[in-house]
Amino acid sequence: MVYLDNAATTFPKPQMVTKAILNSIIRQGANPGRSGHKMSIETAMQVYNCRDTISNFFGAHGPEDVIFTLNCTMAINMVIKGLLKPDDHVIISCLEHNAVVRPLNALKKFGITYTVAQVYPCNNDATLDSFRKAINDKTSLIICTHASNVWGIRLPIARITALAHEYNIPVLVDAAQSAGHLPIDMKELKIDYLCAAGHKGLYGPMGTGILITNKGKNLTTIIEGGTGTNSQSYMQPEMSPEKFESGTPNVPGIIGLNAGINFIKKTKIERISTHEYNIINYLYNKLSCMDNIILYMPKPDPKHFVPLLSFNIKGMSSEKVAAYLDKNNIYVRAGLHCAPLAHQFANTIDSGAVRICPSFFTKLSDIDLLLLSIKKLTSNS
Amino acid sequence: MDKPLILVESITYAIKGRDILNRNGFRATIQKIIKNKELKGCGYAIYVKERADEAADFLNKSGIKVVSRTDWGH
Repeated sequence: MVYLDNAATTFPKPQMVTKAILNSIIRQGANPGRSGHKMSIETAMQVYNCRDTISNFFGAHGPEDVIFTLNCTMAINMVIKGLLKPDDHVIISCLEHNAVVRPLNALKKFGITYTVAQVYPCNNDATLDSFRKAINDKTSLIICTHASNVWGIRLPIARITALAHEYNIPVLVDAAQSAGHLPIDMKELKIDYLCAAGHKGLYGPMGTGILITNKGKNLTTIIEGGTGTNSQSYMQPEMSPEKFESGTPNVPGIIGLNAGINFIKKTKIERISTHEYNIINYLYNKLSCMDNIILYMPKPDPKHFVPLLSFNIKGMSSEKVAAYLDKNNIYVRAGLHCAPLAHQFANTIDSGAVRICPSFFTKLSDIDLLLLSIKKLTSNS
Repeated sequence: MDKPLILVESITYAIKGRDILNRNGFRATIQKIIKNKELKGCGYAIYVKERADEAADFLNKSGIKVVSRTDWGH
């Protein structure tokens, strides 16, 4: 089996992640911060350790700024729905996922509008101009993906936050496809709200996501309930992270996520990304020499792309290609990748595309098997 | 013997406060408290056996709001 669908979720997970999850179920089985007995407090400590790991990993102001969510989509929804007021205006990039576009469309009934800023691959000046031109006096939030989940295009986050802050506009960065692949320092990049999935490049289990912000006071909650603290009060606590974490958390997931990030720290993020770029550039070089292959972007250099690419075979639907590869036990994702906006950008809205995303565990021999299947398919068609 | 307890706003801040104190020469642990109506806080406290006043000041200066103090524990 060859797994190349790591942009959807990484597989396999590092052994230390599996061990940590198993250990948490066996040893940290109590509800954290609730009951107050020794196992409950010990579990709360483990959850806190993960906040601390994440805070250090992403250059946040402190562990209390790390909010655990179900996934990146939930984190993005918490900011969009917690921050925006009727008649606010939002700017998004033309590469955004439906995690951004759908909540904004749901808020249209409250008079909230948005403008789509064009992205120019490898031309950050032009991209920045698009964002600048879209700003108006009602703009209350800029949302941009750190890297496109379809095309791998990186956005100039530091320049976008600098521009936004000139106008006192906060910035939400969707790091679903960059966290764990690229170093991210929130203080350096001046990111106001960082949203990430725990189960992709961070190697945690599914059901984990994070919102990191020191501006939790500016957000209203989209869910309220028990937090294990101040139980006599009918009102939601106002302190982060408890304000945003009602209900029993996903402790095995959180502990697994902590192990995933520790795996990255131990392996070194630079080593992981170098390996992934080597893999994806090997694939790019081979595909670019093949007949009937459509490549939409330039070679993915680290300055402008994360290590993933999407392609098509001339005259064949992306779904058909993925189904053929599946028959050969090669797992990829075709179609629109929950990002129709990004496909409109590349005129692939009708065809979709076949997406390949390696992880640290992908081998060059995996890519050779993929290429062999593609060659067979193109010669048969 | 009474235990000097420092109450903060959440268990997250209790753990953070404990770590800050331990890094700065205090000896602190987390303690679940038996609550009553007068006792504010999250239900968890930082137990500092010695120099509790100094520890509370240190927490406030470190950005961790001390909600209340008590010498009553379990």
